[in-house]
Amino acid sequence: MGIKELLSQYGDQYIQALFTTWKLTAFSFAIAFVIGVAVTVMRISPVQPLRVFAEIYIQIFRNIPGASLLMLLVYALPYLDVLLSYFVCVLIAASLIPSAFCSEYLMAGINTIGTGQIEAARSLGLSFMQIIRRVVIPQALRSSVLPLTNLLVSTMLTTALASQVPMNPRDLTGLVAHINTHAVGGVTAFLISALLYCATAVVIGQVGNMIDRKVRILR
Amino acid sequence: MSDKRTSVKDALFEPPGPKTRRVIRIATVVSLAAIAALLWVVLRRFYETGQLDARYWSVFTRWTTWRFLGKGLLGTLEAAAVAGVVAFTAGFLLMVMRISGNRILGYISTALIEFTRGVPTLLFIYFFFLVVPKFGIKLPAFWKVCLPVSISACGVVAEVLRSGVNAVPKGQKEAAQSLGMLPHSVFLKVVFPQAFRFVIPALISELVIVVKDTTFAYVVNFPDLMQNAKVLISNYDALLSVYLVVALIYIAINWLINRASVAAAGRTNRYAVPAGKKQ
Repeated sequence: MGIKELLSQYGDQYIQALFTTWKLTAFSFAIAFVIGVAVTVMRISPVQPLRVFAEIYIQIFRNIPGASLLMLLVYALPYLDVLLSYFVCVLIAASLIPSAFCSEYLMAGINTIGTGQIEAARSLGLSFMQIIRRVVIPQALRSSVLPLTNLLVSTMLTTALASQVPMNPRDLTGLVAHINTHAVGGVTAFLISALLYCATAVVIGQVGNMIDRKVRILR
Repeated sequence: MSDKRTSVKDALFEPPGPKTRRVIRIATVVSLAAIAALLWVVLRRFYETGQLDARYWSVFTRWTTWRFLGKGLLGTLEAAAVAGVVAFTAGFLLMVMRISGNRILGYISTALIEFTRGVPTLLFIYFFFLVVPKFGIKLPAFWKVCLPVSISACGVVAEVLRSGVNAVPKGQKEAAQSLGMLPHSVFLKVVFPQAFRFVIPALISELVIVVKDTTFAYVVNFPDLMQNAKVLISNYDALLSVYLVVALIYIAINWLINRASVAAAGRTNRYAVPAGKKQ
């Protein structure tokens, strides 16, 4: 099937699929970021059980394969009388895994600050919350721009899990699988999706670099 | 890093006074209670829906179950190892092309690296599963997993290796050149061995991603851990327990690989390149 024929027949679906992938990516990343921040706060808090809980959370979701988590959400949860729509399942899987990495990057950002600054802040009489708000968070966020950009791209790649469940509308990967099983899409069908993914990744990377150049702290 | 007092995490607090100690104690008790309540809710769910019944878990008392899962695990490890080797070789070639100084080769390599990093593994798997056979190429299931997984890893490997090469001090190369070494032996005997040591931890972490990606083997019916779990489930009607145990096995393997990466980072700490650093 030529590219013209393919686009005239499936063009609309490609656009829909692109938006589905974008939507999943944006929602997942937002949720992952919020959870990531919460878990990071637990990890730096002086409350031992919270630290341990956060550490276990990180280890689980850093190391579980996306397929394994999705299977649990889609097929195992109904056995516990928890029924979620396919979209929500994919969304949860694509949020929990990046959330663990998000926390890891934020911790790395916090660790680049150096104890001297915190000791200096404390000797100036700043309270714990003031140190966190005015010294730690601004610097940690600035030095995590590039890792978080990479995280956004890998979140997008994780949303390809959506192709493993029957979803309507499909995402970019699911659409290629659909076209190739129902018609002869061939390499072209695959390349269109791949290029759409790549273009998104490149744009994200460029924007990330731009922000990083603006806010980076030169040491 | 191992020195607790120098970590930022702990420098945030001064030794707490009596008032703060009380607050921390209360917070500890409250959080313990909250975590316990969470566990209780989950376990109760399991109990109420009958998922704790022996019939769902008796599968794991059988020797054959573990042998079958072990076979799947071997399949996973084999696929991951082969994919890792292929990805490393391809990544090395891409890296050499990129730093070769030849413009055209550089562009090709950059394009390939960006392409492989920006496309999900599943899409590559579907390519090898649905598109490649249409050209009359019959690949065994093993390679239908290994090739896509290694393709999607090779771009990252290339970038990791490149960051290692960039981290080797310039003087090393200059010294080797002034000894009259040929360009390729400067690279292979002086620069790359050092670069490789820098990036061992990052390469080991990449192996985790390779292991995770091989879980999609069920798409092409390759008998890895996940696929064998599915077979078990259809035979024993114990879906939740089998999926949970398999997830735990995957977590354990990847956790071990990550530990190895941390240990390797500790050994080469003096030279380590910060992970994720763009050069």
